Amino acid sequence: MTAKKPVEWSKLDNAAKIFPPTSNEKDTKVFRFVCELKDEIDPDILQEALDKTMPLFPFYKTVLRRGFFWYYFENADLVPRVSQEHKLPCSMLYHPGRRNLLFEVTYYKNRINLEVFHALTDGTGALAFLKTLLYFYITTRYRDDFKDSLPVLDYDASLTQKMDDSFLKHYTDNRIPKRVKITKAYRIQGRRFIDNRIKVIEGVMPVRDVLELAHKYDTTLTIYLTALFIKAIYEEMPARSRKYPVVLSVPVNLRTYFPSVTARNFFATINVKYDFGVSGDKLEDIINEVKESFKRELTQEKLLEHMNKLSALEHNAFMRMVPLAVKDAVLRFANRLNDKQITATLSNIGKISVSPRLEPYIKLFNCFTGAKRPQIALCSFRDNLVISFSSPFAGTDIQKNFFRFLTEENVPVTVSTNIKEI
Amino acid sequence: MQYCTHCKVKIKGEHNVCPLCAGILEGEGNPEEEVFPFIPTIYQEFNLFIRILILVSIVAVVASFAVNIIFTKESRWSLLVAAGVLCMWISLFFIIRKKNNVGKTILWQVGIISILSVIWDVSMGFIGWSIDYVIPSVCVLAMTVMAIGAKILKIGVRDLIVYLFIDAIFGFIPVVFIIFGWLNVIFPSVICVAASIISLSALVLFEGDNMKNELKKRMHI
Repeated sequence: MTAKKPVEWSKLDNAAKIFPPTSNEKDTKVFRFVCELKDEIDPDILQEALDKTMPLFPFYKTVLRRGFFWYYFENADLVPRVSQEHKLPCSMLYHPGRRNLLFEVTYYKNRINLEVFHALTDGTGALAFLKTLLYFYITTRYRDDFKDSLPVLDYDASLTQKMDDSFLKHYTDNRIPKRVKITKAYRIQGRRFIDNRIKVIEGVMPVRDVLELAHKYDTTLTIYLTALFIKAIYEEMPARSRKYPVVLSVPVNLRTYFPSVTARNFFATINVKYDFGVSGDKLEDIINEVKESFKRELTQEKLLEHMNKLSALEHNAFMRMVPLAVKDAVLRFANRLNDKQITATLSNIGKISVSPRLEPYIKLFNCFTGAKRPQIALCSFRDNLVISFSSPFAGTDIQKNFFRFLTEENVPVTVSTNIKEI
Repeated sequence: MQYCTHCKVKIKGEHNVCPLCAGILEGEGNPEEEVFPFIPTIYQEFNLFIRILILVSIVAVVASFAVNIIFTKESRWSLLVAAGVLCMWISLFFIIRKKNNVGKTILWQVGIISILSVIWDVSMGFIGWSIDYVIPSVCVLAMTVMAIGAKILKIGVRDLIVYLFIDAIFGFIPVVFIIFGWLNVIFPSVICVAASIISLSALVLFEGDNMKNELKKRMHI
């Protein structure tokens, strides 16, 4: 018998713990980042770039496994392979009991797609991975242009910083949270596709035009688009549902509030509520209310409080001693309760920047998520703003309302989608 | 690029109607612009083999009940057929559910077969065959299969040692049968306990560190 190196493993971070038990075919908890280049993708060079990226993100070379009390990541000797896109967008990546990596790199025409299971990392973490991959891809593919000097990779973090569980680092309190009241939110209904595929509609538009619109209402781009989304949902609400508020869940990147450069999960979600039974349906009213909610929720204290609540649960001695099968059931139940309080989700990735020397090769970035309810993801790159709707429903009324609000204000929008039948 | 006059949006790719409002489009579509590949719908169906097996089970149960009622009214042997089929499905259900993990599947089968055999034995007037033969022999069989699997086939050595460890512990249960004198035939139980002691010793001696790490990882609180 030979002496073997023990297999390395690590715990899931606080936010990741909810994802394994609650992911299924209808709600895969997978998100995708897209980067569209100006030329067609070369698979061999992409593979080469991926091989060079992996050592910088050792944490991505893991499989998710069940222990007796908790899930854990186990390092695996699997080599990720790039392939042409052949699956439905954001289809399942984590299958209980199967040993496979929790992310996938695919390509289609000019696009590189990175799909990630949310337990592994959040949007910011995945973007750091994608940017590194792009760096290697572009500098290899167009190596003649970089003969003299290589551009600088703008993600600067040591391996330990990337692996860092920032929840653990910043959480301060271990109070058990008080019981929270559950307010049912309006929930969008609709016909689903038979194979649970999501309908993705992405709209590309000049960021300047939308910014000008937002400034016209004296507000920021995010707040303006959030309000617009609420308004688009409102237009389709049946009158008898108006007693329920429209609640948007908005993930917030905690790295902007707490010092961290982790490549793992570090986010919290805030809820933005608008009650049409109480307040008016004018866009100005909605904008004011959204502005207030953002101001109220997006403070360091409030976010810390939020983080502490969730961390306290995780560190609770009783919760820790419960077998995983029971934890799974509890988390699924909590997830169902949480779902009842949310109408839709809006994720703002914000402005994506890459090293200026790589910019000329890149056309746009895009991002969307697997969805159990309609979701919007926004990101901008240079002059382009990309707004992606992903929805499990076949109907496109909310999407239509949303984009028509923009085109009525003379914003030129170009739309593409993955499903053609309505 | 196509254009929808109602939504005032340009549309990439080739569409029959506007993806937003399902209205008529102006202009020619260009399939070259498509940013997503077409992926056909795959209808998920039961495996054909499983469906045949279900039908065979139904036929067997129904036919035995029919024959039972027509020809041998005084006996109730068809219940045994039904119970047998049920046991097979319970066992098969867990094989399919745990199919991704060989060690777990084997261990679950040891447990299921042991419990079901005791239920059979008790419901037929407790002759003792379940604890005499079945429990010791499934334990030994599982140990042998896992040891061979781990060492020769090299399938997930680290996984299998944990399950082999649990099975070896389970293999000590016949000691209770021997002490309380419940057994009519003693040799299978003795072999089982002996095999368990040998397996445990081998595990601790040769895979001790591996096993410790594996347990630490799986049992972290």
